[in-house]
Amino acid sequence: MVITDPVYFIALPLLTAFLLPLFGKIYKPLIGIIPGLVFAFLAYISFDLYLNLVPGKPIIIQMAGWAPPWGINLVFSEFSGLIVTLITFLAFLVWVYSYNFKKVGFDNSKKYFTLLMLMVAGSIGVVLTGDIFNMFVFLEITAIYSYGLTAFYKGRDSAEAAFKYLLLGSLSSVFILLAILLLYKQVGTLNMADIAVKAQSIDPKMKSIIAILFFVGLGIEAEMFPMNGWVPDAYSQAPGPVAASFAGMLAKSGIYALIRVFYTVLEVKGVFDLLLIMGLLTIIFAEFSAMRQKHLRRMLAYSSIGQMGLIMVAFSFNTKAGIFAGLFLMFNHAIIKTLLFLSSGFLTYSTKQKKIRDLDGFGKIMPFTSLMFGLGAFAIVGLPPFSGFWGKLNMLVATADSNLYFVIALILLVAVVEIVYYFKVIGRLYFRQQHKDVEVHNPTWNAILAMSILAIVIIGVGIYPDLITDYLTKATNELFDKAGYIHSVLPNLSLN
Amino acid sequence: MQEFLTYSIYGTAFFLMLLGLYAVLMKKNLVKIVIGLTVLDSGLNLLFVAVGYISGGTAPIFSPAVVGKHVIMTDPVPQALVLTAIVIGFGVTAVALALVVRLYRKHNTTNIDEIKNLKW
Repeated sequence: MVITDPVYFIALPLLTAFLLPLFGKIYKPLIGIIPGLVFAFLAYISFDLYLNLVPGKPIIIQMAGWAPPWGINLVFSEFSGLIVTLITFLAFLVWVYSYNFKKVGFDNSKKYFTLLMLMVAGSIGVVLTGDIFNMFVFLEITAIYSYGLTAFYKGRDSAEAAFKYLLLGSLSSVFILLAILLLYKQVGTLNMADIAVKAQSIDPKMKSIIAILFFVGLGIEAEMFPMNGWVPDAYSQAPGPVAASFAGMLAKSGIYALIRVFYTVLEVKGVFDLLLIMGLLTIIFAEFSAMRQKHLRRMLAYSSIGQMGLIMVAFSFNTKAGIFAGLFLMFNHAIIKTLLFLSSGFLTYSTKQKKIRDLDGFGKIMPFTSLMFGLGAFAIVGLPPFSGFWGKLNMLVATADSNLYFVIALILLVAVVEIVYYFKVIGRLYFRQQHKDVEVHNPTWNAILAMSILAIVIIGVGIYPDLITDYLTKATNELFDKAGYIHSVLPNLSLN
Repeated sequence: MQEFLTYSIYGTAFFLMLLGLYAVLMKKNLVKIVIGLTVLDSGLNLLFVAVGYISGGTAPIFSPAVVGKHVIMTDPVPQALVLTAIVIGFGVTAVALALVVRLYRKHNTTNIDEIKNLKW
């Protein structure tokens, strides 16, 4: 163990991303190799840091030697460390998958890897930072590179999707900035722990205004209804691995920011009820829209929104069981949705329209990819023995604990809807006669490797959930313990 | 006089923000929408600077001339934030204009109503 500094998570990808074109001038294959090395290194140090984390003692780094509350600090705690580990792991797998993607030439892969590394750096930054304005900056970094990645393929309607995303993203940034401005005017500090201490003195009306501005602004990033019009377009127009990293990283950092702000920074009465209602509306809207989709990617995107809604509902209970279920669902969504998007990338590779009905009989001609898609579909609807089952089970238990029986009924109803549209695709894959003259693109070896690792994780956690429940419980305790967070960031503060 | 100045700055900031929002939501031309975004950002930046201003304050620079004297300084933090926000706004505008160029090349129009291959 040489490196114990979480600053590498942000500094290293930022630095190498901008040096990448120079490396490409020296030796062309370096463009593909260097991002892999960086992601592997980040995944290694995040696992190492996370496994050696002492409970109750998060790693806190002061940037440029200014102690909080004046300087910017990075907090690698049980909760943020969990999300960072997940993001770096997925970033590595996305690299493995897209290492020699055939359609992408030298120039394109230069752009692709540069943008991807910057997006990963941004989403890790959102999770690690302990400063609210810094969080805004990282959200913007993530957003700008996501616009670029969405508009990556010139042949498709990607510019249209990216412009739509940009409009909503800019509005979101205005809302967040306005909220930060009002908050700063009230408390005179930007450090999240310091705000949490001083927020009690804010006038309740002002606090509600700030909370609503944050809610709308971060809700756009976290795919909340009704501000999620960009999601289906961006997911369906972006390249396959990019859609996977949107589901695995972008959405995760968005929901992390939302949760961190409302659990730790601002305690506002009623905001969790609002989150519950918006989460339920998100689920209903998304799942019923998913059922009507003819494009595979759009269907997956709507399903992704539905999952995010479920996560919001889980966090809105404001109980330990709810947070635990929410974290489990976040883990599942990141792993399973990534697998689904990666496998759908090869399923729809040869079909021009990327419609579900083009996939008839693909189970015979693309056995591995279809198997992976089927596995992902079984896992996401929550069938045992896959990890999705435990997420849904914990969710139902948490809901019952909070005595919200209509929510249980709704979750079960939505699960039926999910089964309908996922099994429709599986039925077409396996039980239909294939169309004539279909082109087959068998996955490359590295894509097979990436999908297999994800499948092993899904089945492993499904059979033996204790692999992760320990870490999820620690993360739950960390998020629930607001005083502990404040105390570890500001050790000299006397909480009178 | 001072009071009037303060309120007029706040008023201008809100007016600019509303104007920008109006352009973003109501205009049909893509370039006008991008202009609306920049106007919205400018209004927000002006609001930021106005919030950081302390009546009668000088520039917050720590120099030998002010050591030991009672000097009122304006709040430097919002100014630093505004600089960051301006840079971010510049980046977003550049990306937006690049996308407008791409859209114009593909659809030969900048009217948002005529660009709807995806469902809006």
